[in-house]
This record gives sequence, structure tokens and C-alpha cells, in this order.
Amino acid sequence: MKQDLLNFAQRRQFLADCGVGLGRCALLSLLGGTASAAPSADIAVSHLPSFQAKAKRVIYLFMAGAPSQLEMFDYKPKLVELEGKPLPPSVIEGQRYAFIQPDAAVLGPRFKFARHGESGAELSEVLPHLATVADDIAIARSVHTDKFNHSPAQLFVNTGFGIPGRPSMGSWLSYGLGNEADDLPSFVVLMSGGSVSGGAAMWSSGFLPSSHQGVPLRSQGDPILHISSPPGYDTLAQRESLDLIRQLNEQRLDVVGDPEIATRINAYEMAFRMQARAPELMDFSDEMAESLALYGANPDDSKAAFANNCLLARRLVERGVRFVQVYHNGWDHHSNVEGGVRNQCELTDQACAALIKDLKQRGLLDDTLIVWGGEFGRTPMVEASAALGRSLGRDHHPQAFTMWFAGGGIRPGVTVGATDELGFHVVEQPIAIPDVQATILHCLGIDHERLTYRYQGLDFRLTGVEEHHPVEALLA
Amino acid sequence: MWSMNLKRQTLVLTAAILTAFVGHVRGEESPSFTRDVLPVLSAKCFACHGPDESAREADLRLDVRTAALEAEAFVPGDPEQSELIRRIFAEDASERMPPEESGSLSPEQQGLLRRWIESGAEYSTHWAFVPPQRPTLPSPQHANRALDEIDNFVFTRLEKEGLSPAAGADRYTLIRRVTLDLTGLLPTPEDADAFVSSTDPAAYDQLVDRLLDSEHYGEHWARQWLDLARYSDTNGYEKDRERSIWPYRDWVIRALNEDMPFDEFTIEQLAADMLPDATTDELVATGFHRNTMLNEEGGIDPLEYRFYAMVDRVATTGTVWLGLSTGCAQCHSHKYDPITHSDYYRLMALLNNANEVDLSVPSAEIEQQRSEQLQEIQRLEDELPSHFPPDEGPEPEAERRQRHYESAFAAWLESEQARAVEWTTIRPVTFESNLPRLELLDDGSILSTGDITKRDVFTLTFNLDDTERPVTALRLEVLPDVRLPAGGPGRAYYEGRKGDFFLSDLMASVDGESLAFEDASHSYGKISIGNGSADAANVIDGDGSTGWSTAGQEGHANHLVLNLSKPITSSGTLTIEMVFERHFAASLGRFRFAVANSESNVAAADVPLDVEALLAQSPDSWTEGDRKRIHRAFDQLTPELADARKTIDQLREKLPAVPQTMIMQERPADDMRPAFRHHRGEYLNPREPVAPGVPAVFASSLSSDPTNRLEFARWLVSEENPLTARVTVNRAWQAFFGTGFIESSGDLGTQSEPPSHPELLDWLATEFVADGWSMKRLHRLIVTSATYRQSSHVSAELLARDPRNRLLARGPRVRMRAEVVRDTMLQASGLLSPKMFGPSVYPPQPASVTALAYGNPEWTPSEGEDRYRRSLYTFSKRTAPFAAYLTFDGPTGETCVTRRDRSNTPLQSLTLLNSEMFLEMSRALARGAYSQFAESPRDCATAIFRRVLTRPPADEELTALLTYQQAQSARLSDGDLKADDIGGEADTSAELASWMMVARGVMNLDEAITKP
Repeated sequence: MKQDLLNFAQRRQFLADCGVGLGRCALLSLLGGTASAAPSADIAVSHLPSFQAKAKRVIYLFMAGAPSQLEMFDYKPKLVELEGKPLPPSVIEGQRYAFIQPDAAVLGPRFKFARHGESGAELSEVLPHLATVADDIAIARSVHTDKFNHSPAQLFVNTGFGIPGRPSMGSWLSYGLGNEADDLPSFVVLMSGGSVSGGAAMWSSGFLPSSHQGVPLRSQGDPILHISSPPGYDTLAQRESLDLIRQLNEQRLDVVGDPEIATRINAYEMAFRMQARAPELMDFSDEMAESLALYGANPDDSKAAFANNCLLARRLVERGVRFVQVYHNGWDHHSNVEGGVRNQCELTDQACAALIKDLKQRGLLDDTLIVWGGEFGRTPMVEASAALGRSLGRDHHPQAFTMWFAGGGIRPGVTVGATDELGFHVVEQPIAIPDVQATILHCLGIDHERLTYRYQGLDFRLTGVEEHHPVEALLA
Repeated sequence: MWSMNLKRQTLVLTAAILTAFVGHVRGEESPSFTRDVLPVLSAKCFACHGPDESAREADLRLDVRTAALEAEAFVPGDPEQSELIRRIFAEDASERMPPEESGSLSPEQQGLLRRWIESGAEYSTHWAFVPPQRPTLPSPQHANRALDEIDNFVFTRLEKEGLSPAAGADRYTLIRRVTLDLTGLLPTPEDADAFVSSTDPAAYDQLVDRLLDSEHYGEHWARQWLDLARYSDTNGYEKDRERSIWPYRDWVIRALNEDMPFDEFTIEQLAADMLPDATTDELVATGFHRNTMLNEEGGIDPLEYRFYAMVDRVATTGTVWLGLSTGCAQCHSHKYDPITHSDYYRLMALLNNANEVDLSVPSAEIEQQRSEQLQEIQRLEDELPSHFPPDEGPEPEAERRQRHYESAFAAWLESEQARAVEWTTIRPVTFESNLPRLELLDDGSILSTGDITKRDVFTLTFNLDDTERPVTALRLEVLPDVRLPAGGPGRAYYEGRKGDFFLSDLMASVDGESLAFEDASHSYGKISIGNGSADAANVIDGDGSTGWSTAGQEGHANHLVLNLSKPITSSGTLTIEMVFERHFAASLGRFRFAVANSESNVAAADVPLDVEALLAQSPDSWTEGDRKRIHRAFDQLTPELADARKTIDQLREKLPAVPQTMIMQERPADDMRPAFRHHRGEYLNPREPVAPGVPAVFASSLSSDPTNRLEFARWLVSEENPLTARVTVNRAWQAFFGTGFIESSGDLGTQSEPPSHPELLDWLATEFVADGWSMKRLHRLIVTSATYRQSSHVSAELLARDPRNRLLARGPRVRMRAEVVRDTMLQASGLLSPKMFGPSVYPPQPASVTALAYGNPEWTPSEGEDRYRRSLYTFSKRTAPFAAYLTFDGPTGETCVTRRDRSNTPLQSLTLLNSEMFLEMSRALARGAYSQFAESPRDCATAIFRRVLTRPPADEELTALLTYQQAQSARLSDGDLKADDIGGEADTSAELASWMMVARGVMNLDEAITKP
């Protein structure tokens, strides 16, 4: 019986190893009908993937703080003309702002724009590298949200809900599709530019089984908590310790018969594999110098943190990680939006473009989806405050902002949606945050309405209860 | 009018649902409505044909029989004539119900509905909405093995399934299981041996009594309650700053240890502030609903996040006491359960009439310390003149010192008297605001309570007829008050400093004519958040983004003086408008106005205002006390004593703070918060007003309709509410067996699976109430049953038959909760501190855990015994929960958790294997065992094994441990491994280090973290 249980636990692991746990993912129900025999499985009855998946994995470049679309993607010459004057009351009526009063004066775009590539995508001068891959990306200028503060807006993008506690997108995908790697978690979180407002709730598994929570790769100490053996333990000592643990656990399994013991035995084996894998993953010495140069990566330079994370993201997807969430914080330009955007673009533009080029030349772009975007946009109006010492900034603007997409499932070289001449409201192809989420799930072959989880009497889904759709115009 | 109409609708609806046709027995085949039919209707039909009027299709509802009949959905007794049957069997997909995308009916389900209509299509109410009736005790064949009533029910069910109860667990297993369940700790090997060898038939009962009496019982069960209360030591969201609400956590521990009846436990937590003469201790209990998160992000709309906190309170109350997903009705009527959209906001109205304030919780110890230190400060202040520098001269030093002091004082007095102005307090005749409630106090000051916003405007009018004129200057005093955050004078409670305010603009007019100001001065000014100035003149510059603030002086009075450009000479009405506008809510909490008539411009006084008042009077009128008061003011201000005062200032800073906790305080009757239905659940979309009340489905059984929080709390634990007792016993069952009778322990509504043991659930619920809602007696009842005492070993056949042990043919075997994993390891290692209560502590974890959180806060591990205290005292930070607990499925405190996941992951393995925290425990465990049994490896291995696992090792287990120990010892002796590294300190012997490795191995066994 013990051997059956061990085999069973292993099969669960190899077939549908999910998150960093064993078993328990939605896909399992398709794979050999072992669900009913899985003693602790919380398996959603679902039929995934619902249609042909283009992408197998996601790298989400989340620009925390909210980059100014008006300085980067959405050129509005009208604002130059109106600079210094308030917007008409008909535009600003009933809007709530975080810091400014709605009658604040208009601030014109701070940078020059030009068209790039065969697609003629319009980008500002602070994105010279992205301009070289303009034909590989799909730009959406008409994204909008309904949260106007960082923490709720970031949570909304990451979990579909503005208050902490719901499962994050990465958890949903880990739950829905399982893990391809047997020595790394399926959902990994990378961070640069300081901490993010939404906090750990953005990679939480919420009410999904906790094995699907995002695992942060940390920049200080162990990259994965406790991945290093304790002081004094060499690999042999660790292996012999694990052998002891395994032996005693197996003896107990014989007596007690509880399959959880078999699962635990396998968890320890996966832990050991992770210990072996992590140092190799984090060590860039096997990378060609050209690769490092392409990204501008340099493990010894803290200013290259985002570039390093982009390169690490590529290494993670190469090793089968399902969802890599890359956070880069530093876009909250309430003051001096010009200097702020310029600085952040210097830190990020090259690496974003490099990721696309690198995945493309490795043949990974076809089945890897890249998403770039923040939590909302920034106001066409200027922010200035004596109390806070702010000038020439822009406040939070939930009504319209820009994101871009590339890779598996995405139609390259298109610009979708438009805002009015003030850059205030969306006037063409409005894209709500749940539409973005539905689009991402669609690229992975999942119908967002069918990826559900029963909790407290209700079938929850990432995209909420309202009607939402993948954005066809963005899809290949 | 509205509430009248609403009431009528409510009654109709209730009558429709509850005037149910209770099915009578019709023989074996006729399906049970609640057990068989309702789950199918609920899952497949109610989403479009159920309680939610906004989602209803074809104007058909199937959840109410009269409505279904009216719509001619079916003909009772005649399936062939029934539209419902025709539609579910329709060949044509466009006709067939439910539509394909909603998931079709299985042939069994189709047949079920046909049989149901054939048998009369009778309805009865979902079982959970019918008050539990005490069932008669069944008599199982195994009655001889039954130890209490629980077993009669469980065994009867097993026999129906053709199963028998398992053998009793061995005594080691039993003592380990029951000790873990009741106290969250382990039995010592000595206790275990005594229990195992006892021949006293009452040994187990005595053990249970001892454990229930242990103060660790309250700690263990408090942690489970805190999951429901979503307790945390921080505010959540972006900034996630620390809050002080641990007195609430301590209240829960004490209440559980005292076995406070659950009805009382409920009422105090939900509404103690409304009890007559509520004590401080009772008020602390209302922290339950203050555990909601607080968004401190700059620029939020604070009332929006208060609304979300209310949403959480309604959902949590529903989950914890009603076992209903009330939260589903936030945006629209519940799709499955009879909770309408309006019901939801009526529930919210019941809970939404409190102010959210801080309460000082004095402790005798702190009071004593404070009074001693204040005496010392007083003594030092009296002594201040003795530190005054002596002037030059031949006289003795004391004489010169006295002389110098007197002359300096005289000079100061003269100049202060010249500056002092006589101020007259003016009392407003009207006082209004955009939202907060302003109240005029006896001393002429205004106190502000109720809700505040990012732009508050106060308008006060004064009758100048009563005032001596001319008036040349206005003075605004900002005053401390214990009722305000941090003692006031402001009401800022998030983002900025607590108790701060920000006065952006002050405008005055007489009879509509604006007054111009010449200048402004203040006694103190400092801004928090931002680098702007806090100059007094900011309030008269017409720029809303500048203003006056007294950050850093919370709990102290200050004032602002404005000189008028032209004196007011006429009578009439003086109107003062104050605007408080920042990116966070920061209006004043208590303040007062005064006027003066002075020939020259007046400046804000340095001296306290009572001293200024004295100085403005003739010295002839000063009493001895007045003179002393003036001297004291001089001592506090003269630069000559600045150094001497430093010691006093330092002492003052070291005064121990009185602990604070967060409570609810019902608002006065003249300040009821208006309640509305919010369309689509949106904060910005209030529609018609609603009156407070319980959901209509419960209304028919009401003797009186609860109209406020206290009445609601009492209703929750009354016999009129069918749910609270069931929900509570179900959760208790879950705590012991891993799964409740209903697995979804927060949802007993129509979407929940039927209970595994419905009669036992109802029997326990009625027993619980009859037994005075005693949690301890309920727990005793469960753990003394034979069902609980079964062996948890499982055969392959039984595992295949009942993998999740829903039938209870074996005992529970469940991984420990996160906190229990750490607590038991601490205990086994001998490090566990028994210290109870008080502020939360910081066990060691890698600095990188909190480095990911906003502002990169440091996690400085506690020193001394605080490092080793039980885990429920660990500081709980919502955005960076203690990593080891999160890894073992501990909660974040963001939402109410009725049932934790029990995952089994490699990250858990890494934590137990490699973390500093567990490593430290394994070293201590080995040291203890080795110091006792250095001479006997077998004894040493056995001691380590038993400290962790309770039972003695089997021979093959002992052999494995010794083989491993010898192998490691050899490598250590060879220098292959470094003993000092393994032991974490110099001069660790190879032998000891090898035992540390053994201890670490044992602590990593599945059994080590499992309730057997």
C-alpha cells in the first residue's frame, strides 16, 4: 500500500504538479481521472484549457506607481495649446482626485513623439529601445480602471478586486494550469525599485489552496526563503538527513496508512531539488556577455536591478515557471513628471525591449506572453502643492492609460483604442482591467468565465461577476 | 414612508418563503425537498429564477412555491402537464432548460425533478433556516461502545453504511491528540507515561478536565477565534502601519479561559458599548469589528474605505454567526439564499451607527510607574530655580543665585505684563459643518465627532451684541481632549500623525461683510507629511494648499492670533468659516475662539493662556497660587534654565504610555448615520434609504425587530435565530476533526452540501444552548466521545471508501496549525516561554521578509523570553505576515477565515529544515537531551524522539536514528563537518553536534507536525 501511495503522490506530482504543492490544480481533472482518489484535493470541476492556447507562460512587467501615458505613449498636442488653463467643467465634473482639485491647470506633454517601425507606432523620445521592437508589440491606449489610489488599483490589476484577500492572477494560472517545473515554483515574484503599495496581497493565493501563492525571489539573503542548508551542512549531510527523514516517514506510512505522509515525503524530495536548482538559476555566469549587454544586466549594479530581473525572468520561463511577476516601482510622479519619467525609462526601457528580442531569438516569444503596464494613468492636469512641496507633476488618473502586450497570442504591431484630444477619457475601444485579465487568460487558452473556484458558497473567478471579454483587437 | 413600504414587502416575501409546505412522509421514493431537490434547483435554476429580482428571467422564480405556481411552472402531481418538466426534457436545445452554458441537468437530476412534481412538488424551508429540533437518540448496534450521545449518532450512520467504528487509539496517541486539541501544546513524556500506565478508569476524564482548566486552553482557542476576527497588529493596505489592539486579543484569551458563555461572548464583542454601565474590559471586546483594515494611503477618500470596512463587517458577521454568505448580497439580491439587496443594507444599518475611537486601557502597573515618574518630574520642577546661574559678586553662591533669579524674573514679568492682553471667550450661537457633528461644550469650546472628510468646512456664528467692542483681534485655541485620536487637538487618524489637524483657511465676516486680517501669529507650528511651512499667515493667504498645523504637539493646546485690519465696532453677527483641506482628513477636534481689544497688534503668547490671563490682570488680584503659577511659567521658559529642563523633558518622554485599544462607540441618537441601499454595491451609488433590520427570512419568527446593534447581537444568540448555535458547533467539530459536518463552515446556505450528520449537528446545537452556551462543556462532550477516541490508522479499503473521513469511521489525523507547529517545537526544545498577554513580540525570521513590504520596515527579533513566546503573541503584519506561519497556511488578517487550508509543500520542508528559528530549537532540544543522557545514545535518541513525538520509538526507528547519528558523528570527528558550525557556537563537541542533527531530523518528520 505504501508503494501505491508513494507512486500515486509522485504521479500527481509529475502529471500536474501545481504551485509549490503537490496535486490540487484544476487541470488535474482532465488527466486520468485521479481526482476522486486524491485525498486532500480541492479540485474545481472545469474543462481547461477551454480553447487553443497560444501562450504557455506569462511575464508580467508591472510598472508600480503608474507611468504617465502622456509622456510615453499617448501624444496630445492639444494639451500644449491648453497649458496653464483649467479643463472645461463638462470634462472634470464629478471626478474625484487623490491630491489635486479637478480645476487644476493643464500640463502639456514633456517629450517629443515620433512614429516607429512598419506599424508606425507613436512613442516618445524616452523609449528609444522599445521603438526598435515597435512592430512586435500591441499597444492599448484605452485601458481604464475604477480605483484612483495605488494600493486598491494595484490589487485590482493583480487580483481582480480592490481590497486584499482575493487570489492573484498568477495563483489562478498556477491553479488552472499547474506547474511545468518539478524544481521551481509555478508562480515567481521579482521586484525592483522598492516595495509596492499593494504588498504581498498581490501575489497571495487568497482562497485558493495556498500552494499556489507567488514565491518572491528575494534580492537579499536566500533568494527563496530557507533555500540554503543551515551552516555546517554540506550536500551530503543534507542528503543523509533527508534520507533519515524519508526512512522514518516511510516506516510511519506503513503503520498509519495516511496518504498525507506520502505527499510529505515527496514534498521533501522537491525541496531538495529546489535547493539544488536555485543557485544555478540565480548565477548569471553561464550567460553570454552579449546577453548581459542586451539587457544592460549587471548583477553587481543595483541600478540594473530591473534589467537583472528581466534576464532572470527569461531564465525562469526557460525552466518552466508558469507566471513571472516582475514589479518595478518608481512611477508615481506627483512632482517633476518630466525628470521622473526620464529616469525610470533609463532604468527600464532597454531591458523591456531586450526581453522581447531575447525571447524571440530563443524561439520563446511565440508561447510566452509579455504584459507591460501600471495601475492607472496620470492626469492631463498639473499637480502642485505648497504643503507637499510639489510642482510640475501629474496626479492619479483612472479614466485612461496605456498598456502594451507582446508574444504568445498577441497581434504584433497594432495600436488599439484612443482617448479624447485631452487624453482624459477613452473614446474608442474601452478596455477595463477585467478585460485585460480575460485577454491574458485567453492567450493561455482559458475562458475566463470557466476558471472558477467555489468559496463560501459562491463560484469566484478572476474577472468578477460583470460581463467582460478578451480584447479581440489585441489577439493574433 | 419608505420604511413602511419596505416592511410590507418584507412581510409578503417572508410569508411566501416560510409558509412552507412541510413535506410529509410519502414513502421511500418521494424525494426530500431540502435534501434532494433544493440543491439542484439552487445550483441549476436560481441564478436566473431565484431570489435576485434583477437577474430574474421570464419573470419566473422557482424558490417560492406560490410564485412558481402562479407562473404555472408546474402542476403538482402531474409532471406531464408541467412546463418545467417539458422544458428540462426538451429535445430542442433552444427550448431546453437550463440553457447549455449554465450546465445541463444529469438524467438523475431530471428524474428527481419529475418524481418530485409527481409526489406533489412540495416545498419546505432549507434546513438551516428552520430552528434545530432536538432529535431522538438513535440506538446503534455498537451501543456498547458508545461513550456519549455523539457516538449514538455517528455509529448509527456508520452501520447504515456497513462500516464499524475503528478501535480506540492507543493511550500515547490519545494524550497527544487531546492535549494538542485543547491546548495547542504537547504532553510531556512524563505526563504521557503517567497517563499510559494509569489504571484509573477516570484517568482520561481527569486529563480532559486538567487541560480545559489550563490557561493554555484560552491561548489555543483564542488563536482560532482571531482567524474569524481577522486580527492583526497593523492597518493593512499600502502603508500597513502598526495599530494597538492587542488588548482585544488578551480579552479573547481571558474570556475563553473563563468559559464565558458564547451568547455573552457574542454580545460583548458586537455591542458592549451599548450595555448599561459598560466597563473598560467590556468595551475592549468591541475590538472585534475594529479589526477591519484601514487604508492610510495619501489621497484616498476616507469614507469610501470606511464603507468597505462596513462591507467587511456585514460579511464577517454573516459568516461567523449566521453561516451565510451575506456578502453576496452587497451588489444585488443573493442568487441562492433568501437575502435581498435591501436586507443586506438593513443589516449594514444595524451595525453602522458607531464612532470608531481609541480607548485607554489603564493597568495598575503602568499607573504606578506613571505616578512615580510624575512625582519625580514635579520634584525636579520645584527644584528648577536652584539651577539658575548665580550672578557675579562676593556674596555666597546661594544668595547670588537667588538675586539673579529674582532680577531675571522681574524683568521677564514686566515685559510679559506689557504684552499680555485680556481675552474674552466668545460662544458660538450656531455651529455647522459639512459632515462632522459639532457640539458646544460648557467652556465655550466646540467638540467635533462623527465622520470627517478630506475637505471639512466649519461655519460658526457669534452674536456681537454680547461682546465688548471694539474687537481688534481673534484668537483660536486648539485644545486637547481624551476623546480625540492621540488626545487631539485634531482628528487626523490615518496617513498623517494621529491627532493632527490642518487649518487651510480661516475667513471672517460681520453681517456678510468680510473682515481683512493684518497679520497672524501662533504659539507653535509644524506640518506633518510634506515639507511645507506651517506659518500662521497660511490661514489668511487664500491658498488652500497652505495652512497651520501643530504636528508633534498632539495632546497639547496651542493657539493662533489674528489681528484685524480694522476693528469691529458695530454689533451684529460675526461669522467664522474654517476650511480644513489636505490629501487626508485633518479637521479640528476641539477648539475655542476668543476676542481682544488692544491698541497695538497682539502676538501669540509664549506663556500658557491661563498665565497670560493672570498677567493681563492687576498683580493686586493675584493669589499665592497665581504667583506660583507665574513663577512656574518663567521656570519653563527662561533660557537660563534650558539645560536644567532637559532632564525633565527626557523624563517626560520616558513616561510609559497607557496602552490603547480600538473600540466601537455608538453614536448619539441625534447623529444616526443615514443608511441607503447602494446600487451595485457601489459606495458612490446610494439609492433609497433603508431602515435597520434583520433579513426578511428571519422576520416572521421575531418577537421584536432588532433596530440597533445591541438588539441585533441579542437576536443572534436568541432561540429565534436558527443558525448561530449550528454554525458554532460545526466550527468546533471542524477544529477537532479537520472538517465540520458541513465542510463550508462559513456557509450553511442553500449552496452548501448537506450536513454529513444532520441529526448530530442539531443535537449538539440544542445541547450547546441548553448547556448555557458553554464552549468548554461542548469541547468536553466532543473529546470524551468514542468517536473522537478512535484510532486514526486507515486501511486501503477504508481510504478508498471514505478518503476524507466524512463518515468518521476513524479518528482525526490532521497536520497542526502553523502556530502549533512552532509552539510545540519550542516546547519540545525547552525554550517555550509561558508568559501571557501584552504587546506583540518578534521571533526571529530573515530580514528579507519585511524588506518586501512598504517602506522596508525592519524586523528586529525580540531578545530574551519574548523570542520564545507562544505564536499567538507574534506581531502580525498584514502585508508581511510572519513567514513561517504563512508557509503553514496561517492567515494574513485581511479577511475572516473560517477554515484554513492544510497544504503540504516543499516550502514547509525548507522552513523546518533550514530556518534559523527551527534550527535554534533543534540545537536546544539536543543540548537538553545530551546533557542528561550523554552516556547512553539509546536514551539520548529516545529522549529527543519522545520530546517531539510523545510515543516511544519502535526498535527500527531507534536503529535508524542511531545509525544516522553515528555516521554524522564520524564525519564531525573527521573534520568533514564542522561541529561549531552545526552547533552555532564555538566548542561544540562532535558528539553534541551529531545529536543536534538528529534533533533536526526528528523535528522534520511528518508525525512531528501532525495531530495523530
